[in-house]
Amino acid sequence: MRKPAFILAIASLVALAVFGGAFYCAHYVCAQRGAKSTDDLDWLKMEFRLSDTELARIRELHDGYLPKCSDNCILIAAKKRELNQAIAASTNSPATLETLRGEVAALRKKCQSEMLAHFEDVSRAMPPEQGQRYLAEMKRITLGAHEQVEQSMSGTNHAAHDHH
Amino acid sequence: MNTDKSNPNDAALRKILREGRPTPGLPPRFQANVWQRIERGESGANASWIEALAALVLKPRFAFATASALVLIGALLGMWEGSAHARQTAQARYIESVAMSMSR
Repeated sequence: MRKPAFILAIASLVALAVFGGAFYCAHYVCAQRGAKSTDDLDWLKMEFRLSDTELARIRELHDGYLPKCSDNCILIAAKKRELNQAIAASTNSPATLETLRGEVAALRKKCQSEMLAHFEDVSRAMPPEQGQRYLAEMKRITLGAHEQVEQSMSGTNHAAHDHH
Repeated sequence: MNTDKSNPNDAALRKILREGRPTPGLPPRFQANVWQRIERGESGANASWIEALAALVLKPRFAFATASALVLIGALLGMWEGSAHARQTAQARYIESVAMSMSR
């Protein structure tokens, strides 16, 4: 290898190492700072630039909602276990299974309604513009995934369903 | 000058003069050097900018400025990426806390 080309190759490697090192260090420090926090509401504070008063009000709502959410989750999990056991036993009538499925769906509906009501309460505690953005984002995240599944089932996989 | 009027012995005289003039010998590795120059001439454009860049890279002021710029750009990009990552982690934590049933 000729000398100038060798110098340029070494210089490129050094430049890459310098850039990579700086990038990695800065990334690590910032990511660690975010990961160390244990406050559930950090994201709201960062994303929606809330004042301390707004955050205190939202924390109140959040703390009030969590036990309800947890209770709903426990009820849904218990009902799902019951349904799975009934399906596994295969001695239950279709009507019993249908009833249990209806109960699971009702619990999920109640949970979802309460969750959406909570999102609306939180959005009202924010400045109007940020509140709307929060509500849209939360609906997109929590309900969007389910809608995507529905769309995929009614779209491309429609033909496959017809054949079964 | 009219060559017809020149002395017929001129040719012989010129020969004697040429033989009398000392001619220097070829320098060592003359042929190899000629080939090197021909090759350099063929790849002249490439070699010139690579050499110029290599010379620039070796200048301490340029090297220091480049390294500083790379550290700055790398750190800024790293901070930006790290903040986005931290934001995603915080968002996931919030969603997990308020929509526990969605993840089950």
